[in-house]
Amino acid sequence: MSGRFRPGVFWGSGVKRVSLVLLAVAVVVFALLPRQSQFLLHKIGQPFADILAMPLEGMATLDRNVREWWMRYIALQGVSEQNRELRKKVEQLTGEVNHLRAEALMGKRLASLLEFQQDESIRTVAAKVIGRSPSNWYQGVILDKGEAAGIREQMGVMTPAGVVGRIVRTSGSTSIALLVVDPNVAIAGMIQRTRDEGIVQGTSQGLVRMKYLPPHAPVKKGDAVVTSGLTGGFPREMLIGEVSRVQESEDSLFQTAEIVPTVQFRQLDEVLIVVAPRSSEAVVSLDQALVSPGPRNPTP
Amino acid sequence: MKIGAYTVFVLLLFSIQATLLYSLSPLGIQPDLCLVIACLVGFRMGSVPGVLVGFCLGVIQDLFSAGPFGLNTFTKAGAGFLAGVFAENLANRASYAAFVPVMACSVLSAIVFLLWSRVGTGLGEMFHGFFSILLPQAMLDGLLAVVANWVIVRWLVEAPST
Repeated sequence: MSGRFRPGVFWGSGVKRVSLVLLAVAVVVFALLPRQSQFLLHKIGQPFADILAMPLEGMATLDRNVREWWMRYIALQGVSEQNRELRKKVEQLTGEVNHLRAEALMGKRLASLLEFQQDESIRTVAAKVIGRSPSNWYQGVILDKGEAAGIREQMGVMTPAGVVGRIVRTSGSTSIALLVVDPNVAIAGMIQRTRDEGIVQGTSQGLVRMKYLPPHAPVKKGDAVVTSGLTGGFPREMLIGEVSRVQESEDSLFQTAEIVPTVQFRQLDEVLIVVAPRSSEAVVSLDQALVSPGPRNPTP
Repeated sequence: MKIGAYTVFVLLLFSIQATLLYSLSPLGIQPDLCLVIACLVGFRMGSVPGVLVGFCLGVIQDLFSAGPFGLNTFTKAGAGFLAGVFAENLANRASYAAFVPVMACSVLSAIVFLLWSRVGTGLGEMFHGFFSILLPQAMLDGLLAVVANWVIVRWLVEAPST
């Protein structure tokens, strides 16, 4: 060690001074004009994102192949294959159970809502997960479909098992979705059994929390939490998770419920992006969409 | 030729960060490869190359990050610069000497992210972010920097002279 900090070394040559000043100016502009600088940087960066997506897709394929090879040949051969099939089946069945449960509950309410015409059809685009958020601070995934496939910001992302998250950024051929376990995501949800509504938000611990539940709502462990459809991006009754704990406080105006999401975020390979939460047009069914790739240029 | 090699290296680095590294982090915390490289460049080559490399790597990370654009760009550029300044005040640049500056830069960068991504989510979330993300990541970054610096010294700096 030289022992003492030398200011001369800190400021150094002209090049260093200029680069430091430029960096400082950029930081100030970024801090003072967040919206404008975001827009500008996003527009400049968009074409680069499309180019960078190519090596990323290659590496994602390599990663997927290595993982599959490992699971198939090194770890329990046969069992792994069976496990994968079963997991897929469980995901499909979870979706179906949720759908049937919703229909059963709906039947009870139909007496007073006979005129209500429900259109549960939704239009989706299937996308592959080609990467994860490069930072530990945001729980996000990089998807291989972008604006060219009709993907826009704020669209909902799901799997047959339930809600995954929301699109926060798009480029021509890729998009980035923030997962529902991220603290920056909030979705309007409701307890399926009691129809009590609240806001579903992620936590740093990788859990999901449902806030602002009415204080006397009879919420209990095991209750299914679904989307309420009040905010855009998601259809009604999409499964989010199951209540694992209810926090009641005497001095609080609301109840809070902890939710375990139904989607396994670490094993996320394919997702469906909801391009039209309620549409009477031709529907890509969930199973169908997962098998075949979605339309490249769907009509909005 | 050199620029091409650097471009391939940067693309490879980012691709590994966004794919393989996630699969290799069972506890959910992964080191920030781009920050480590920016700091090492600053540490070994000076603050100006550190700023440039950090800036480029940060831009690429921002393109695929779910956070606001620019956060990675400026934190990585700043980290590269600070690592360079630290190294210029250091007589000994042995492998282990990279631990402290890289860890310090990782902590500073993570504080920016912590404030940006968790403000408004509650004090509990901030504390959790500090202890379960910021500190483990800083330790990982520091350790990775020591290993990477050792590889650089052993194979890239010493090798031609032997």
